[in-house]
Amino acid sequence: MLNLFAIADTCFLIDWSYWRYRDVLFELFKTVFIPENVLREVKSENTLDWITSNLAKGKLALYTETPDIVEFATRIMEKSRLIPGLRGVDLPEGICLAVGKRRGYFVLTENRGALMAVDILEELSSVRVWRSLEVIVEAIKKKLIPGNPVDIFKSYEEDTKHFFPRRELGVVINELRGETREVA
Amino acid sequence: MNKINYWSMLEEEAREIRRKSADWKYIESLPARLKFALKYYIETGDLYVASRIAGLTIEEFNELRKKAGVPNVA
Repeated sequence: MLNLFAIADTCFLIDWSYWRYRDVLFELFKTVFIPENVLREVKSENTLDWITSNLAKGKLALYTETPDIVEFATRIMEKSRLIPGLRGVDLPEGICLAVGKRRGYFVLTENRGALMAVDILEELSSVRVWRSLEVIVEAIKKKLIPGNPVDIFKSYEEDTKHFFPRRELGVVINELRGETREVA
Repeated sequence: MNKINYWSMLEEEAREIRRKSADWKYIESLPARLKFALKYYIETGDLYVASRIAGLTIEEFNELRKKAGVPNVA
């Protein structure tokens, strides 16, 4: 089933836009929102072309943050800095997390602070945060990308110079292989 | 292991990967702002703040970290 909405931050989009299977994102979500500040942060022709053409198709949409979202994001920023050892969340990620909480959107980010915040801050525990790792897993489970999972993840690393932590990659590869065996 | 310790362990592993992969000769050759922004990024993995230090957009800094051989570990 297609998930409805996601909100993606810059650090996710600028790597994802270079991947050969990048459009699979739109087979997983009806619409992916991007905060307006993303447009100020992207410069390359590749990323701008991909973003603007998909804005035109309605697969991407701009999200204009409202004062209540900014207020909530600011509180998340502050809370993240009160817990020793917890990586601080900055405002751009805070806005995505606030939207994830208030609107129920999936949050697409590579930011470790955002991942830690939903794991540790009770208030955010219902927010679903996906990195490229989780998005690719979902696409593989739905058979949206052909080929061996190991090769698919390798293609992402090659195209984007992203590195999946081997411990976590090993876990998801084993899970995917287990699912394949069960189906067989 | 409690959650904070678990995340600290993951952070340290990611930091080591960034440190070992980096092209330090190239990094040291850069102007101060870019050099220190990359060093900050290697230590923290924080693209947003690193880009502010560098005076670049996030995507511009992302291209710089690729040029410096520093992977985005996530």
